[in-house]
Amino acid sequence: MPSITRTEICKGVNFSYIPENKFKNELISFSMFIPLDKKHVSQNAVIPSLLTHSCKKYPSIKLLNQKLEELYGASISPSVSKVGDFQALTITAFCADDRFLPYKSANINNLSNLLCELIFSPNLNKEGLFFDEDIEREKTQIIEEIKSEKNDKKVYARGKCVEIMCKNEKYGINSLGTIESAKNLSSKTIFDAWKNLLENAHVEIMMIGNGENNLIINEFKKRFQNIKRGKNPPFKTEIIKKVNEITQKQESMDVTQCKLVMGFRTETAKPDEKVSAVKVMNALLGGTPQSKLFLNVREKLSLCYYCSSRYNANKGIILIESAVEPQNIEKAKKEILEQIKDIQLGNFSDTQLEETKLYLKQNTKKIQDDIELMGTWYLLQTFDETKKAPSEAIKEIENVSREDVINAALKISLDTIYILSGSKE
Amino acid sequence: MNPKKITSEILKENYFYMKHPSGLDIYVYPKKDYNSKYAIIGSNFGSINNKFKLKNELSYTNIPDGTAHYLEHKLFESKKGDAFELFSKTGASANAYTSFEKTAYLFSCADNFDKSLEILLEFVQSPYFTEQGVLKERGIISQEIKMYSDSPDWKVLLNLLDALYKNHPVKIDIAGSVESISKITPETLYECYNAFYNLSNMCLCVVGDVDYMKVFEIVDKNLKFSPAVEVERFFPDEPHEISKKEVTERLDMETSMFNIGFKENISKGERVSVKDLVYHDLIISAISSKSSNMYDELIKSQSINEVSFSNEYLEGPGYASVIFSGESQNPKKACEIIKKHIEKAHKNGIDKKTFERAKKYAYGQSLAVFNGVSSIANLQLDFALAGKEIFEYLETLKNADFSEINAHLGKKLNIDNSAVSIVKPKNE
Repeated sequence: MPSITRTEICKGVNFSYIPENKFKNELISFSMFIPLDKKHVSQNAVIPSLLTHSCKKYPSIKLLNQKLEELYGASISPSVSKVGDFQALTITAFCADDRFLPYKSANINNLSNLLCELIFSPNLNKEGLFFDEDIEREKTQIIEEIKSEKNDKKVYARGKCVEIMCKNEKYGINSLGTIESAKNLSSKTIFDAWKNLLENAHVEIMMIGNGENNLIINEFKKRFQNIKRGKNPPFKTEIIKKVNEITQKQESMDVTQCKLVMGFRTETAKPDEKVSAVKVMNALLGGTPQSKLFLNVREKLSLCYYCSSRYNANKGIILIESAVEPQNIEKAKKEILEQIKDIQLGNFSDTQLEETKLYLKQNTKKIQDDIELMGTWYLLQTFDETKKAPSEAIKEIENVSREDVINAALKISLDTIYILSGSKE
Repeated sequence: MNPKKITSEILKENYFYMKHPSGLDIYVYPKKDYNSKYAIIGSNFGSINNKFKLKNELSYTNIPDGTAHYLEHKLFESKKGDAFELFSKTGASANAYTSFEKTAYLFSCADNFDKSLEILLEFVQSPYFTEQGVLKERGIISQEIKMYSDSPDWKVLLNLLDALYKNHPVKIDIAGSVESISKITPETLYECYNAFYNLSNMCLCVVGDVDYMKVFEIVDKNLKFSPAVEVERFFPDEPHEISKKEVTERLDMETSMFNIGFKENISKGERVSVKDLVYHDLIISAISSKSSNMYDELIKSQSINEVSFSNEYLEGPGYASVIFSGESQNPKKACEIIKKHIEKAHKNGIDKKTFERAKKYAYGQSLAVFNGVSSIANLQLDFALAGKEIFEYLETLKNADFSEINAHLGKKLNIDNSAVSIVKPKNE
């Protein structure tokens, strides 16, 4: 069982090392967390992409990628996501482990040095700002990315439901921002965002692999010595517990199939220890192919191809998603609510409960066989007091009782219904 | 039982192969220290196999489009109940998929592997197709078909295949249409099942921290013998030329998407070799990787949405096409740039330095495949059904020689046999 060692290398910057020798690759991720806010969200969102396109030493996409290819197809990729009310800006570096290469080449050390070059020594012009052409490219890319969210109707509908449901919370902000906020980006605002992130964001660096990590830690330490670390943002996600009024919104697009997304409040988010009970309840409801939603909405009524639910433990919300024919929306909605009521009334067998737990436990065990999933597993726990290994989470799942599940179900309340409907029959 | 051991010096790993007396090909790839175990069983029966006959039959049978996929959905049901329900007892995650050239059933788990393997073998050997069951599935599959018809990336690919191929059934949607599936009956399903799900036409791959001899024993105990069946698959003649140069469709979406495909000459029913695959990967990397001139111009001219740019080698019995795809504000321009750089490569050849870099890149990429039980098992099934061996790829790549690359390039990426498919927003 791999264990995690976490050291603070300077204020608000932690380095975690997970020794693991079963993979053919090694991984280093660099994540910056900053509270979501409308004004800065787009400028922060372009930073991971901007930094992974060039640096002072390799000033173009072409030169940088030649270098990565030389490192046996190493990759450095940007991502932007949300963890609770925080925007998570991550750069992940991934490369082949020396043990499997034709020549010993200190692959991970070379890659880690390159990663530091990208983050701390970007390609700047004479005025010390980012080049206009780089900024223009990033602006176009982010605008296109925001627009293309609409291409995948499932993702789009899910995003809309969250946006409406959490309109008065930070979590309701799209992690890329809006087309308008992206259009207002400039070389100056983006430079300030980069500086601000290095100085004020909460930073988690993680390494998973077989190699020696001292050289790598020292390189990051050295780089942060030149940065004046300021105040750490307070790590607090707003958890809304009560719903005053159910919001329903319908939008129409020229599609053949309707998407239905229902957002619920669960009253339960981390660090509440009842989170495990909600996890099990959610899986029983719509998280497995034997779940109540799958068996009833899909299999019994044949209303849809998918009907599933997902629980976000950092924010304490559940989203139930389905795609149905327009005339079946009401039927599907009614059946979904019926299934929740069923759990509240305890209408599920002990076998069903045990099977759901078995399914969840096995999926949690499997995380340790995937280097990227393992990275994500710990990143999602950034703001948790104690970091749990998958094995500890498994124990908590085991301890969830029938009453815990019923109580978790009794606490959930419908907040928002979003329907994306077709304009043609 | 006398399994054969196949070793990779590069990966420092091995797997075991056995042909079971029933005809089933079995592969077991032990993966030490992994919690996950994965098993997949598949048949060379995909959406393209819409006309076939048994060896002793006189005439070919045509089946409705989407039958292979429909059969995949229905095989989960048996007299004893739904296979998902049986898997829920063991906690395994089960799934299945149908592609152009094959159908596969799989599960992954951490515990109770033996029991789950028994369930998998049991249900793929126990067809139970009833009038009522087949009818019930129609609603679900119709919803699945409609979901894909709203999906721009699926639409743009299908339209491309329709433009590239004149007769080959790879141009037909895997799931068929709402109309075609309404013609599928229990009899259709039984007929296909008896032909393609005969054990001599199937292959099982297991990956995980397992004792290979024990796996062979479980399999042996759970196979039902039936005489081998030989199926003859019919494929129409496919000319070298493409069908249409360009297709455009408008959908309710925000950003245009394109696919540009280059059709290759493949003999009827044949597959490309491992060596072809290796040189394919080297050529594509040399011409279109992020360090290439093609990519540089696509980005600088803002004709592509960076994250969306990708390529695929769509390859199966009797067809192979190289496809570049992406989201673009100016799809036509993007396609022109892609073609321009391909023409240049044909004219000037790939230089040694670029070749060496591409080789290192491909090496790292293929190592990563061997990290996960699911990626290994799926690769193994894919290769086994196509008559290829998985370790051969890395070996061939290691020995790939610069002197051969340009000869391979000469056979690929023929501009005259290329087609473009574009999907655009309605309001543009």
